[in-house]
Amino acid sequence: MSYKIDDKRGKKVPKISELIKKGQITIDDAKDWLRTIYEIRFFEEKVFELLGKNIIKGASHLYAGEEAIATGALAAMEIGDVLGSTHRGHGHCGASGNKYAESEGERQMHWNRMMAELMGKETGYCGGRGGSMHIADVQKGNLGSTGIVGGNQPTAVGAAYAEKYKGTGKAVVSFFGDGATNTGTFHESMNMASVLDVPLVAVVENNLYGMSVPFSGSPIEGTVRASNIEDVAVRAAAYNVPAMIIDGQDVVAVYLAMLEALSYAKENNKLILVEAKTYRWYGHSRSDPRAYRTKEEEKIWRERDPIIVLSEKLLSEKLATQEELDEIKADADKTINDATEFALNSPWPDPKDLAKDVYVEESYSQAQHSLDEDLSKKSLEATDAFTKALESAEGKTKKEKSENAKAKIKADYKMDVLTMGEAVVAAQSEEMAKDKDVIIMGEDVGLYGGAYGATKGLLAEFGPERVIDTPISEAAIVGSGVGAAIRGMRPITELMYIDFLTIALDQLMHNAAFNRYMFGGHAKVPMVLRSEGGVGRCIAAHHSKSLEAWLMHIPGLYVVMPSTPYDAKGLLKAAIQSDNPVVFIEHKATYGQLGAVPTQDYIIPLGKADIKREGSDVTIVTYSRMVMFALEAAKELEKQGISAEVIDLRSLKPLDIETVANSVRKTGKMITACEGFRMAGSGAEVVRQLMEYTFDDGRTGFDYLDAAPVNLAAEDVPPPMSEPLELASIPSIDSIVAAAKNIVA
Amino acid sequence: MAKEVRLPQLGQTMEEGTFVSILVEEGSQVSKGDVLFEVETDKATLEMESPEDGFIKKILVKPGETLEVGAIVAIIGEENEDVEDMIQTSSDSNGADDSSSAQAKTAESETLKVITLPQLGQTMEEGTIVNILVKEGDNIAKGDVILEVETDKATLEMESTQEGVLKKLLVKSGDTIPVDAPVAIIGKEDDVVSQDYIDSLLSGKADANSGESTTASEVQSEQAPEGVKVLELPQLGQTMEEGTIVSIIAEVGKTIAKGDVVLEVETDKATLEMESTADGVVKAILVEAGETIPVDTPVAIVAPVDVEISQAYIDSIKNSASSDTTEAKPAPVAPAKPAPVAKPAPVAAAPKATAASGNKIFASPRAKTVAKELGVNIADIKATKDPLRIKEVDVRNYASTIASPAKDESAVIEMPQPEHQLGERVALTRMQKVVAQRMVESKQNIPCFYLNSVVDMTELVAFRAKLNKTAPVKVSFNDFIIRALGIAVKQFPIMAGQIVGDDIKIADSISVGLAIAVEDGLIAPMSKDVDKKSLIEVAQYNQDLIARAKSGQISPDDLSGGCITLSNLGAFGIESFIPIVVPGQCSILGTGWIKDELVPQNGNILIRKLMKMTLSVDHKIANGAYAAQFLDYVRKLLENPASL
Repeated sequence: MSYKIDDKRGKKVPKISELIKKGQITIDDAKDWLRTIYEIRFFEEKVFELLGKNIIKGASHLYAGEEAIATGALAAMEIGDVLGSTHRGHGHCGASGNKYAESEGERQMHWNRMMAELMGKETGYCGGRGGSMHIADVQKGNLGSTGIVGGNQPTAVGAAYAEKYKGTGKAVVSFFGDGATNTGTFHESMNMASVLDVPLVAVVENNLYGMSVPFSGSPIEGTVRASNIEDVAVRAAAYNVPAMIIDGQDVVAVYLAMLEALSYAKENNKLILVEAKTYRWYGHSRSDPRAYRTKEEEKIWRERDPIIVLSEKLLSEKLATQEELDEIKADADKTINDATEFALNSPWPDPKDLAKDVYVEESYSQAQHSLDEDLSKKSLEATDAFTKALESAEGKTKKEKSENAKAKIKADYKMDVLTMGEAVVAAQSEEMAKDKDVIIMGEDVGLYGGAYGATKGLLAEFGPERVIDTPISEAAIVGSGVGAAIRGMRPITELMYIDFLTIALDQLMHNAAFNRYMFGGHAKVPMVLRSEGGVGRCIAAHHSKSLEAWLMHIPGLYVVMPSTPYDAKGLLKAAIQSDNPVVFIEHKATYGQLGAVPTQDYIIPLGKADIKREGSDVTIVTYSRMVMFALEAAKELEKQGISAEVIDLRSLKPLDIETVANSVRKTGKMITACEGFRMAGSGAEVVRQLMEYTFDDGRTGFDYLDAAPVNLAAEDVPPPMSEPLELASIPSIDSIVAAAKNIVA
Repeated sequence: MAKEVRLPQLGQTMEEGTFVSILVEEGSQVSKGDVLFEVETDKATLEMESPEDGFIKKILVKPGETLEVGAIVAIIGEENEDVEDMIQTSSDSNGADDSSSAQAKTAESETLKVITLPQLGQTMEEGTIVNILVKEGDNIAKGDVILEVETDKATLEMESTQEGVLKKLLVKSGDTIPVDAPVAIIGKEDDVVSQDYIDSLLSGKADANSGESTTASEVQSEQAPEGVKVLELPQLGQTMEEGTIVSIIAEVGKTIAKGDVVLEVETDKATLEMESTADGVVKAILVEAGETIPVDTPVAIVAPVDVEISQAYIDSIKNSASSDTTEAKPAPVAPAKPAPVAKPAPVAAAPKATAASGNKIFASPRAKTVAKELGVNIADIKATKDPLRIKEVDVRNYASTIASPAKDESAVIEMPQPEHQLGERVALTRMQKVVAQRMVESKQNIPCFYLNSVVDMTELVAFRAKLNKTAPVKVSFNDFIIRALGIAVKQFPIMAGQIVGDDIKIADSISVGLAIAVEDGLIAPMSKDVDKKSLIEVAQYNQDLIARAKSGQISPDDLSGGCITLSNLGAFGIESFIPIVVPGQCSILGTGWIKDELVPQNGNILIRKLMKMTLSVDHKIANGAYAAQFLDYVRKLLENPASL
């Protein structure tokens, strides 16, 4: 039984001089804590002032009053320990920068870059892309600060897993507020950290109020409460992990508690919860009148200002004179004033760099492109040949016939005939064998082999450290993937159904997709989110959607949807190798689909469409399973004298509009076919990009259209369970044929 | 402040106008460009627009009244303005100021009229007399061609603007004279023209010679070096007061010739091209695209290549322009809008350019793209596959049909089996025997000359379309032509003549033959008394006649008594051809298809529907000049379809 609460409040905190005597710290360390606290304080006061002057714009959630926590925690952390921060993150970033500064000059530059970031200047830590709520120096072990309450906790779990997996001996310190402990991600993350046994110190900065709502109640009329507990620490019981409650105003208490917590986490690879009671001097943000707090309460807390607490200790222990303290204060004041000057004199970011660093630049060699062009044609031929060979194959049983036909293809084409599921497994297996940083996390991905068998056999091949069955906690799965990826892994996270993304979208969008840009291009998130989607198994509206259009709407993501085993393998390998976050969506009805897959190592460049069938009368632009429908439709159309070109987009983002436009230039007519909902769907986006596509001659895709494009897509209804309704809800071979005949007529 | 509204010159030869209808009342509020009156001139009935915004204070004309150009016809002022005094002066001045001839300086000028060389093109400054078609003592009607004049662009006919007896010719063949120089004096039979009067005119002519054209005013400024011309924004339309510069075509430092396009200007009506009125090198452009400037504002400076233009001079010209601008109504600076009229495409590339600017043509973007590539006009194409819009296939089909002369799509794509085989002997029908015999007879006995003319059918096409909406019978182009021939033969009766002994016997009535292809060959029955019938009656008669011809029910009476025949092969895509005169008639008119052509007019390029006419005439009966006037009259009639 690990759960216990160690309430350190009221217990005697050792004197600073004792710590010095033990050699734990030096007198300079203690004085530096005071200076850090002062610097954070003056920074916040300056920010408050500049917000009033409209020199700093946007939101600012000030840390004043809580400085002892960041200062004490960072003092306890080793270089290399990882930090996770929140929207109230100036203190974490400030204390961390001081910790890493090796000279006065570096320290000054650190505050310079913090102030510049608040002002949105190019010299800021994130080049002005993040600002107050996303201030972080991700190059110095900071996972970044999130604007969504509770949003940073899953990443901390993944980061802690990465430290453990790599055996760095480091831990992650994840800060969040009392408000965040009422979110689902808190529970998902604490639970997952607990079961994964990761070195994580979760620090709850309990400043008693989640914006205006008291965590445990307030005497002021009109207020309610956010929880029915006094101490967040009791929630550790739910995860069977130890917890501490500490005085967040006393930097010495924080320092000592964090030393203990960190050593526990590191030694045991365990989660520990530290609840620091504290108080924020300002309101939630600048516009907050603080009507929910009494003046008396504020006065009591202000008497326990971390500056006063530490200053009194230094004076009473005769470790410093008032003059020395005044000097520390003056130094801190000068640092912040100089930082303000620096920021004011810094240049704005150049709008021409607006789109810089949304992605890690992706480049593929000409050889990779050519290989794909060559292999994709051969694969289609070989797949056709397999279908024919199967018809004429000898054998007593189906299996025997199939084996014989496969052997023929192997002999004739040097290709294996695999199911889609096997191709996905093969891609992961090859990449995991090649790169030990590739791990798989998800529900039932281990022993079960994945709900659709897409990780079958991988647990046996790579072990439970690399193929990780997780609790059913989608946000924590995706967020852990992000955290691990930021810390240098190449995680593949699996969502059993793309529908489950609805509860993990914050992690995917705000952390996976946005982190790189938001943190000034200094982070990268090389993770793959694998899932499956589409209708076909009568499992109704929560398990049958195609949400790719949502994902196409998110800058920073790649979205890939394969239609054949060949594509699935090549695209998934490219996705795993990519330094960008890639959502890879298979189709649930295609896992058994057979196709020829080369035996050689190959990848398919992301963002490149494939012409699955050439034609001259109409272009059918599609992807995923609809490619198969379109190819069947094209066969039927050929009988009727209509030559259809079928383009498989393969990647929806980036979208290869060039291939589409060149085809439409030839045919003049376009049909898009997909299983996503029609309104604001992927087809509409293809049409939009086609219209705007400009050829070398200055003409646009619009100029070459001979008829209004047709978008075949899912009807705007929740996917129904009943089979006839389910079939009616998406395009069919017949509807593609009818649309083509109509548009060509 | 009240203003007098004067009768403007609504056409080149207009001197006076008859007020057909008055469309406003005293007290009514009008805007500039509103139609005030309908005025009938020597050429047509035209609308007179208001030159001002305001209230009609007084109307000084009555319906039916004929007034000279420049006469005051109305007063426009503010709502409550008192204009009584003005009305008094205006009516006085109308009575007194009855002569607009600036040269009329002597008493003789009371009846003598001077014809001066008109500006026959926008850039024309002078003309060389190529040919004088009249002689002193001739009776001349208004509109008669008196001279052929060669300009910088073409050889043109100069028509008389006066009627009377040609008293004195002031030019001779080969003379080059400036625009507005006196050319001839016209008077009454018994008028005497004194040498003094002639001298006074000629001295004026000398003045005119030394003067410069009004649009390229030589700069009088002391700083202006020799040969410098300031190009000013001309008034490119009747109501144009200002123009917005859409684009500047001329470039500083480039050589420019008279007639080259300097700017594109958007007026209240259209986007037009402003041509240079001077040769030289563009030294300065004084305006910018998007700027709106009043008429007469300097826009560019043109000078010989070696002449240096000082910035001070350019500034002085610019400043003079801007001070003018401030004096005038403040010019709203409108952003340059895309030109609403299509720029004429190179003729070779586009056989027909678009005329339809009002009607939206529904065509797929691809159809438009392909049409552009193939150089065909989308407006000419019909949607066949998809009734809602023209598609690529329609454009390609159309382009393949216009590549061959026949317009009929089916004729190109699907030709019927030929009726006869190679080597076969085909028996002459009885009708064809007659045709053969008559045609040989014609060739042997009728010495023909042939006249070609081109008629602008634009108005007629529109008139016919409108007419056919309500007419009890569908009026064909042939009906119009036949009716025109009838009226013209009556005017030129020799065209209805036949040699009888030593006389020319003129027919008693006017019948026009209509050549009709029938099963057995060719037949040309008569449309009778076409001079006496209305157009509709002619059409009704012809419809019946054609029906009878096609069904072989033509009586001998239908074939007798013709004066002239019309043979129209336009429907077969024929542009022009020479028909053979039917024996017993004086002439035959061959007409071709009505074709869209680009026609330069006043510096613009218009799309007009032109038809070529060839008149074969029996020279035994009619001579060239006579027949030419006849044919020209036919042309005029067709160009004024309302007269038919």
